[in-house]
Amino acid sequence: MRIANAFLAIAVIVCLAGSISFAQTRYVVTNDDIGFPLPNGASFFSVGANGTLTFQAQVNTHSWGIGGGYFGANRVLSASDGQQPCVYISQAVSGSIAGVAVNTLTLGGVASGSATDTGQSNGIGLVTQGGYLYASFTDSNTIATFSIEGGCSLTFISDTVVTGVNGGNINAMATKGTVMVVTYTDGSIESFNIANGVPVSNGDAQLSTATVKTKDATFPNEIQITADGHYVIFGDTSTAVILEVSDISSGKLTTTKVYGSQNGISSSNILLSPDERVLYVVDTQGDAVTAFAFEKNSGTLKYGCKSGPIRGQSSSWSYLVHAALVSDTGTGGGVYVAEFGATSGIALLHFNVANGKCTLQEDSASPFVDPNSTGLLSIGIAKSQ
Amino acid sequence: MRTQLKHGFAGMVMALTSICAFGQCPDRPATGTVVADAPSLVSQNGTLAAKFTMAQSVDIYGYTHYCYKYASGSQIIEAPTLRLNPGDKLGLDIVNRNNADAEMMKMAMPPAACGDKGMATISSTNVHFHGLNVPPKCHQDDVINTLIQPGTPGFQYGMQIPSKEPPGLYWYHPHVHGFTEFQVNGGAAGALIVEGMEKYRPEVAGLTERVFVIRQQFLVPWVPGPYQLTINYQVAPFLGGGPIIQMKPGEKQFWRVANATLQDFLKLAFVVNGKAQPMEMIAMDGYPLGQTRLQKVISIPPAGRAEFIVQAPAAGASASFVTESADTGPTGNPDQAQTLGTIQLTDTATGGWHAPSPAMQADPGQLKFANLSEQTPMTQRKLYFSEEFGGTNGPIQFYITVDGQKQKVFDINEAPAIVTKVGAVEDWTIENRALETHAFHIHQIHFKLLEVDGKPAPHQDLLDTVEVPYWEGNGHPYHSVKVRMDFRDPNTAGTFVFHCHILLHEDLGMMHKILVEP
Repeated sequence: MRIANAFLAIAVIVCLAGSISFAQTRYVVTNDDIGFPLPNGASFFSVGANGTLTFQAQVNTHSWGIGGGYFGANRVLSASDGQQPCVYISQAVSGSIAGVAVNTLTLGGVASGSATDTGQSNGIGLVTQGGYLYASFTDSNTIATFSIEGGCSLTFISDTVVTGVNGGNINAMATKGTVMVVTYTDGSIESFNIANGVPVSNGDAQLSTATVKTKDATFPNEIQITADGHYVIFGDTSTAVILEVSDISSGKLTTTKVYGSQNGISSSNILLSPDERVLYVVDTQGDAVTAFAFEKNSGTLKYGCKSGPIRGQSSSWSYLVHAALVSDTGTGGGVYVAEFGATSGIALLHFNVANGKCTLQEDSASPFVDPNSTGLLSIGIAKSQ
Repeated sequence: MRTQLKHGFAGMVMALTSICAFGQCPDRPATGTVVADAPSLVSQNGTLAAKFTMAQSVDIYGYTHYCYKYASGSQIIEAPTLRLNPGDKLGLDIVNRNNADAEMMKMAMPPAACGDKGMATISSTNVHFHGLNVPPKCHQDDVINTLIQPGTPGFQYGMQIPSKEPPGLYWYHPHVHGFTEFQVNGGAAGALIVEGMEKYRPEVAGLTERVFVIRQQFLVPWVPGPYQLTINYQVAPFLGGGPIIQMKPGEKQFWRVANATLQDFLKLAFVVNGKAQPMEMIAMDGYPLGQTRLQKVISIPPAGRAEFIVQAPAAGASASFVTESADTGPTGNPDQAQTLGTIQLTDTATGGWHAPSPAMQADPGQLKFANLSEQTPMTQRKLYFSEEFGGTNGPIQFYITVDGQKQKVFDINEAPAIVTKVGAVEDWTIENRALETHAFHIHQIHFKLLEVDGKPAPHQDLLDTVEVPYWEGNGHPYHSVKVRMDFRDPNTAGTFVFHCHILLHEDLGMMHKILVEP
């Protein structure tokens, strides 16, 4: 009954959101993650009616990616430089981060961290907060802090060396306000204070509950933090669908509560809707996306609905990875999902609620092929002004 | 283990590139030449004693070879075929002269090690006698505690082939946890034959016998990329002229084929003028079939063996020995179709071994496991394969789990995941919850395949390795096999392992121990 009420409310918000129009061009952006000898690039797809995508341009970043790596490290980041919208793209092999001006679809600055920063094996994840960009170098186990500068450029400030409780590598990051939360490949989680820019550990590193206690093998991967900074949600890399929630309202991560479903195979990537009532869970190795209802007052999760098989598994793609929202309001209207494969693409799924029940349905035009990527992991949303 | 994978990878590359480039292994046959069987070492008066030196080198193409060298006078033979009779004694001395930089990769071993002390490294070795129903004891067929370190005087294996051992094709290979793949990738594997097949399957009596060991080599194990299959060490290229198998026109031959690849699910066919021909199945995994049957395609998972009769066509026909492509699932390895050998029809065909005429027929009911169908299982167990991918390059974890236990990778110091007793007969259902096909193998015993996906198996063969097909994903049931395990023989007492025989999976921990209490 609580689920029904939740989705009824969501339905109202969806209807309201549908009446809003946007003046700017909305893009889905990919980090094509192209490796040597071809240069990497960011492909821009304009969003059309009903969320469909049309390829517009690729911006060459003159650097090299790797075409693979950790599922939790998001390699595309939208951020303003104070004057214009930018998209930042990480390049695993070059060890650099390229800024792209969204209004002109031109390359801005390309920056690197310290001499020891490297993410050549598994990539470089990106998050932003308060004028800073944070890059997780997954091989050197460092978080590089950059200040975002005009012209979609970056200035390197310093490194923070991190490591999991049992020596794991840094995997995913998320920020909200003055808090940064990271996951490690050994199943540990940790929060940092970023009030002064450079991350400082809050001293709460711990193994997640699911890592220690569930019969499924699992470790937290991608992270979502609620807007009020109360809860942190983790999507686990697992042999099932495992989600964990920690209360961080005290300023430190608390023991995670575990939510799960055997109806899937891995849940490395998650995305919270703008109204924070829907958590989209990407079945990394399966062929579906699941929506969970999130009660943001209690931090609890309940299964909502699941998509049918997404087209092209095995024949075109082998992993579903990062997701991006179809809409900036309400439930988000569904998600785009990166399809990693020799023919990489982007799936489009619509989320709807009717009679208290939700559905996730792949658009008839989906998938949208990324002609420039054979190893797509990360997508994001950018809007021109 | 997750971090070991990463550091292990980097270390592995460095270790392999540091191997002495001088040729310590014998040259292997050139592609496009006539395929020869490995020379045989035959037991005499109930005993076969031999000394192998394990060595390694890098060929001119960059492939790292690991080899079992046997000195026959001034000649060095690589991986000879061992031929014994039931009841014979096998004495095998192993001297380890591997020379990779062992410091690059190592794993802890339990303190009560058998053989040499120290850490298990990429250069450590031991031997598993795959399929043989011999005890899991030190100096016999123990792979958990046995280490043979480079530079030491050596290690002596000594065992007696059980008097009721099924006649057929077995094989030997290294089995140091964490490093098996490297050495098998380098070619360290050979055939072992328990003689007497003609007593149970008179169809083979008097036929020319060929022993083909199909191996697989990657430039660098663990790195996805092109691979090569070899037949008796001769590379079978995907395109162009390949190995030549000589037969006389119209001749029937008895072929004994071991799948000694790292991960290739072979789908063997004998093709004449473009059409697959029926092959007469004689034995699987070293166990003679109750009745022969005709098959146009013979599936052999990694580590499996098939023994069958093929008939050469008349002169003028074209024929080839091929493996068809195998679909191993969305995250499985692409096992591609290719020719393993072109049949050359010639009246002067030579090579092979000649199976003797049967002196007398033997009663198959006296073989080990012969009456397993009639036994009532005391215990039912369920196991399952699963995988966990944290990224395209790792961390990737491979699990085999006894249902109800926590999924975990194999730890050499772990307690047994299954404990049973001598005398037990058990039915195990093995399910695949991963998106790639796995190959289940248990040491020390054969098992009887009872069911596939809950239905009676069309061929209820006795096997030691069985394919468990991949899960098709959400909305589909898991594929499974049900097998009957026989621990009645006191020789099974001890601790041994079961695992996936895709060797990367085994090395990364898709394995656990079973303890059979006396």
